[in-house]
Amino acid sequence: MNYTSIQSSAIPATPRGIVVRNRWARNLLSFLMVFGPGLIVMEADNDAGAVSTYVQAGAQYGIHLLWLLVLLLPITYFIQEMVVRLGIATGQGHAAMIYTRFGKWWGLFSLVDLQLLNFLTLVTEFAAIALALEHLNISPSIGVPVAACALTLLVLTGSYRRWERIVVFLCLLDLAWFALAFYAHPATGEIVRNTFVPSIPAGGLTASLVFLVVGIVGTTIAPWQLFFQQSCIADKRLRFADLKWARLDTLIGATFTIIVAGCMMMTGNAALRHGFSFTDPAQMAADLGKVFGPWFRTGILLLMINAAVLGTTAISLSSAWAYGEVRGWPHSLQKSIKDAPGFYGVYVLCVGAAAGLVLIPKAPLQLIILSVQVLAGIMLPSAIIFLQLLLNDREMLGERFANKPWNNVVNWTIIIVLFALSLVLAIQVVAPKLFPAG
Amino acid sequence: MVLENTIEEREFLVIHPLDDVQEQKIETKHLGPMKMTPAVRISLLVLRGYLVLMMLLVLYHVLDLAGAFGKA
Repeated sequence: MNYTSIQSSAIPATPRGIVVRNRWARNLLSFLMVFGPGLIVMEADNDAGAVSTYVQAGAQYGIHLLWLLVLLLPITYFIQEMVVRLGIATGQGHAAMIYTRFGKWWGLFSLVDLQLLNFLTLVTEFAAIALALEHLNISPSIGVPVAACALTLLVLTGSYRRWERIVVFLCLLDLAWFALAFYAHPATGEIVRNTFVPSIPAGGLTASLVFLVVGIVGTTIAPWQLFFQQSCIADKRLRFADLKWARLDTLIGATFTIIVAGCMMMTGNAALRHGFSFTDPAQMAADLGKVFGPWFRTGILLLMINAAVLGTTAISLSSAWAYGEVRGWPHSLQKSIKDAPGFYGVYVLCVGAAAGLVLIPKAPLQLIILSVQVLAGIMLPSAIIFLQLLLNDREMLGERFANKPWNNVVNWTIIIVLFALSLVLAIQVVAPKLFPAG
Repeated sequence: MVLENTIEEREFLVIHPLDDVQEQKIETKHLGPMKMTPAVRISLLVLRGYLVLMMLLVLYHVLDLAGAFGKA
């Protein structure tokens, strides 16, 4: 149990616990001790690719798609809530569960697919870091290796808590998107209307709009998140009694992330209002810097780097945890390099190889970005199907942790929608001529 | 009143999960592969086919874009 009700005269000499005198303080402290994985998994998903997608949506369609983000809030929460239950109930990671319950073929397929998709995503994160550094007049050949080293040092301290505190701080830096969005003077009435009343942007339902909508859905819910949060919860050793706080952590994380995504869209909207055409977020930052001042440009570029750093540490860890679980290696941020060489080796390899690939002149980055979109679109619905089947595994979870009927109705609806969208995305990318031009 | 007094006298010890005694989790190792109905088994087989087909399609497309077939 995470807390024990005891008489004041009988407090045991427990060195690491904190004694509080009322239930309110007990609940707050219990929540703060559990808080972390939910915020990190959600906010790290606002990575470089997400920044690009959201600001592009704003720069092309204004704030017309804010309602879509509101719709995605319960979807992201319900999916990750299942992961929370599974992680707390079993104390194991997602990759290990798939291996145990669905056999070698699915276990291997999920692992290879995850590793491939994660690696390609990491390349896009470092590509964004390189792009932002270039606009900040810092040579990527110096800045990218420095970023890779910093990301490696971040996990090598042998302390889960230290890693978590630093990453939560990086997540909170994203509050700066609020300042950028509101400094650009958006129309409050329009924001409220577009947030709660779904509408199609002027120009109608074109192929490019459909593609962007699918991209927004794909970037808001990513396969690595399932693996990451379950492993993170297992590493943090959350207890059965922590479930309600872990759910709250996830809900806060989802809400914060969606609001930050909305702010990114509003920042992109500023580019549209000032007549700039969108090419990439760094160029948009340069354009908006001419209107709002150099700090605005620097702010966007630094937030781009922060988004990529957050994405990189979370995605690399999801790879390292998954591989460690399947191979049966020690896999915990609480362990030193000496005790978990394989786990840290996978992390360093992921970060180092992705950073190295970005520095190769004429690396096929556009092809990699395209592959990430398609692979994520293909992998996500199938990954959620396994999650759904695992959460209905009453033999394993019992009634306490298994899905309730209403959970299943909600989750199957989400799966059907995601399957349809992923199919559209995959077909559109693989065979673009099948769709009319937008 | 009595209840309030009792509460006032109480204190709560809050322990971080990493400092707490490790909890006994649901045992999964002895379970083996999940028991599935024929419908679920067939659905997963269809899913496997879909995923393999899509992966091959993506691989072909990526190779095509990379100029492996001499067009790009």
